[in-house]
Amino acid sequence: MNRLLQATFPFIGLISLWWLIVFIFDVPHFILPSPERVGWVLVERFPLIASHAITTALEIICGLILGASLGFGVACLIGDSKKLTQLTMPALVISQALPVFAIAPILMLWLGYGFASKLAMTTLIVFFPVTASTLAGFRAIPKSWELTFHTLRPKRAQLFWLIRLPLAIPYALSGVKVAASVAPIGAVVGEWVGSSSGLGYLMLHANGRGQTDLMFAALLALCVEALVIWSLVNRLANRFDQNPQVIS
Amino acid sequence: MLTISNLDLSYPGYDPLATLSWQINAGDQVALLGRSGTGKSTLLAAIIEGAPEVTKRSERIAYLSQQPALLPWATVIDNVLLGFKLRGTKHSSDLTQRAVDLLDQVDLGALAYRKTSLLSGGQKARVALARVLIEESDLVLLDEPFSGLDRSTRIQMAGLCQQLLAGKTVILVTHDPRDAQDWLDTAMVLTKDTIKGPYRLNEFGSDRALIQALDGDL
Repeated sequence: MNRLLQATFPFIGLISLWWLIVFIFDVPHFILPSPERVGWVLVERFPLIASHAITTALEIICGLILGASLGFGVACLIGDSKKLTQLTMPALVISQALPVFAIAPILMLWLGYGFASKLAMTTLIVFFPVTASTLAGFRAIPKSWELTFHTLRPKRAQLFWLIRLPLAIPYALSGVKVAASVAPIGAVVGEWVGSSSGLGYLMLHANGRGQTDLMFAALLALCVEALVIWSLVNRLANRFDQNPQVIS
Repeated sequence: MLTISNLDLSYPGYDPLATLSWQINAGDQVALLGRSGTGKSTLLAAIIEGAPEVTKRSERIAYLSQQPALLPWATVIDNVLLGFKLRGTKHSSDLTQRAVDLLDQVDLGALAYRKTSLLSGGQKARVALARVLIEESDLVLLDEPFSGLDRSTRIQMAGLCQQLLAGKTVILVTHDPRDAQDWLDTAMVLTKDTIKGPYRLNEFGSDRALIQALDGDL
């Protein structure tokens, strides 16, 4: 009960502030609709909002799975070699430094306005945090550990599977947790640039028709969706993360 | 056993350190004393990694550091047998029995199948010692292996090392001569300029005597 209160307190505070602003400054509903108006739209237009929310959720989840798998895989391929990491790092940094807004039109051109372009954008945004964290895990092994393992005369593959990979997994999972919080950006930006469904599309559509309350309802649905996905990923990551990160 | 010829311990961009030559005979057991930053650990790394200035008679080297490098998710016995797993050697029942016997010797037989993350610092140090022993290495390098432990556990570890490493060539790196006095007789001193010795460890009865003997460098 206490935890539930703790979790909901910021939302209650935020909604109260929102309501107060609307009430005190008498803000017109087409600029900032009141919370009860947005709540009413959420109930009234639930089937519409839910159908768009499902599209966005699918884009986020599939992008997370694909981006995390690719990021982890690439890190495993290059993480064992310092030279290969140095060689590929500039390309990896560029993949993150380019704003998704800048490449969204190109991805639309190549992959069309459907699911694939949104998946690509979410994948791209998820890829780097997972790769960078996993690589950090490969580099986090202390020198004294490296020397100890060197004296045990290991086979390279055994060293990778039995030690380097398990030690990198907690770092990879930290990357997935970070990625889960930014994944919705990829999906929504993709929907803004060109789509016929999804919460990003619904927001743009409502905005164009002056339906600010529907726009806010879609935004609220996106917040809830992002939070639910982030919590689920965190729970899943913590379940897999059985190895203490502290090296002793 | 080990010959080091003109090995420069300096790191690029840092103050220059000693360039040393040192010969260690088979069966020698010696403490290497020195202040932090004189290159003691660098010297051990050069021996392990096989720097060109180092000539070894055996490739079978064991290394034990302050961080015992135990896999926290594995059991105690799996950590003892880690070297065999890493080399892809199949475990025989004899080998497992030998690991259990060694764990008995370091007083951890009852904890053989416990997860390593659940052990205390002193217990972890003893698991690492059992792993050193099962490798049957000719040369054992110890890099401040007791520095994270309390005094009574240090004395216990020194006793175990004295008993179980008898006959092996040992270099114990430490900045605290008490760790060495508990079980070794001879010490060399590494300063920023040179390596000096051998000294009798009982010459360093007090900190003052030690500092005086080492020209104020420790």
